[in-house]
Amino acid sequence: MDDNWGYVAAGYVITIATLSAYGGWLWFRLRRARRADLDR
Amino acid sequence: MNARIGVGTKLLGAAAFLSLGALAVFALVVAPPDERQGDAQRLMYVHVPAAWLAYLAFFVTAVASVLWLIPRTRSTTWDLLAGASAEIGVIFTGLALVLGSLWGRPTWGTWWEWDARVTTTAVLFFLYLGYLALRRTGATAQERGTRCAIAALIAFADVPIVHFSVTWWETLHQDATVLDPKLEVNMEGFWMPFTLVWSVFAFTMLYSFLVTVRLRLAELDEGREEKALELAIAERVAVTV
Amino acid sequence: MTILREALLVAGKDLRIEARSRVALQQIVPFGGIVLIVFAFALDPDRGLLPRVAPGLFWTAVLLASLLSITRSFSIEEANGARDGLRLSGLDGGAIFLGKAAAVALQLLLLEVVLGLGVVVLYDVSVRGVVLIACTTVVATVALAATGTVYGVLAAGLRARETLVPLLVLPAVTPVVLGGTRAFEAALAGVPSDGWPWVQLLAAFAVLAVVAGVLAFGPLLEEDS
Repeated sequence: MDDNWGYVAAGYVITIATLSAYGGWLWFRLRRARRADLDR
Repeated sequence: MNARIGVGTKLLGAAAFLSLGALAVFALVVAPPDERQGDAQRLMYVHVPAAWLAYLAFFVTAVASVLWLIPRTRSTTWDLLAGASAEIGVIFTGLALVLGSLWGRPTWGTWWEWDARVTTTAVLFFLYLGYLALRRTGATAQERGTRCAIAALIAFADVPIVHFSVTWWETLHQDATVLDPKLEVNMEGFWMPFTLVWSVFAFTMLYSFLVTVRLRLAELDEGREEKALELAIAERVAVTV
Repeated sequence: MTILREALLVAGKDLRIEARSRVALQQIVPFGGIVLIVFAFALDPDRGLLPRVAPGLFWTAVLLASLLSITRSFSIEEANGARDGLRLSGLDGGAIFLGKAAAVALQLLLLEVVLGLGVVVLYDVSVRGVVLIACTTVVATVALAATGTVYGVLAAGLRARETLVPLLVLPAVTPVVLGGTRAFEAALAGVPSDGWPWVQLLAAFAVLAVVAGVLAFGPLLEEDS
């Protein structure tokens, strides 16, 4: 039973990693767009 | 168009983040393990909402696509929303598949099962992956809007057909009933159903936040594309004059 | 002109082009054939596996070949601004769809006859339930051709169409492969009653695909690329 925690941990880590990566990508692209805005 | 995100969106993001944090506590600490599945049950608290969100996201894509196709309501925003929501939907579909696999291994003993739900989710993933590829074939909403909208609606209509046909196949098969644990989990007590409901709530907030931000990003990119197009046309005209 | 007459006009045009260029005959049918042979390399012919999975292999080969047919159906409109010609012809969009889909369907039926013979010979299959097999084939082919033609016009003119069409079509037609294979299995096992429900499913799919195509083809054709 206890070794099920490995799967649980993997699942939550993957979820957090994926959502963080996507969020980070969005934030990065918005920042780049803001800089382009200021250049104009 | 301003690249800054509004206060409302930021609040939404904070709320989503906090509710997800609470979810982690509920799911990993507070909720008890299941009788049969043990702690693997805790994966349901991320797998189920991810799947739900995928369907919600693709529903939004379908509605936005319809609004684009109707001439009276046609607007660039609908095309961009369709794309933004589909992108998030694909991410959540992929997540649902991976999490389902991680749950299935200790529960069923296999990483994969060809039952109706899993199979349909896999097909769903590729249907919308194709949709996303199609979106990259046009730089502006005008160029890609109609074909993407139709592709989205075909995909949306196809999903229940795929699900139905595989379900039918299962019932005709009838020997795969060893997989009882795959059917609805026994929700005992208070914390298990509560955490599940909370998870759907938290993920829905997350979706709302992500789609809002992604839509804003898409609007900025679209504006840039249209300006570049205008510039290119103006230059060309200047040459001929 | 009625829709039917217009559709026949378009179908006739496409089939005439095929008759002259013989691309389906000389390239697509052989492609189907080599796919059947590749399967024999990929699977073990000695352990009696091939006859058991023959229905699935048949439909997979047909599916892959249909991708070529669909792409071909629209690449013939590339030259000499033929697609503009179609748009300006005044023909009804739904009629053009029916015509093109019918032409693709007919070519697929020809392919399926050849591949069917191939499967019987190469995979040592004994044929039973011919009526079920025939009905399944017709309905599944209509479903395949109709769905494919919608995606074909959707991707027509796009630079990435050769890779887009397969990616778009394959997930969408999974029920057709499922239904076709199960119906064939029932026929070959001598239990056709198991197969007819699948024919119904395929028929429903075919109807939906044709309706979708008739509605969507016109607007998609008008799109600029």
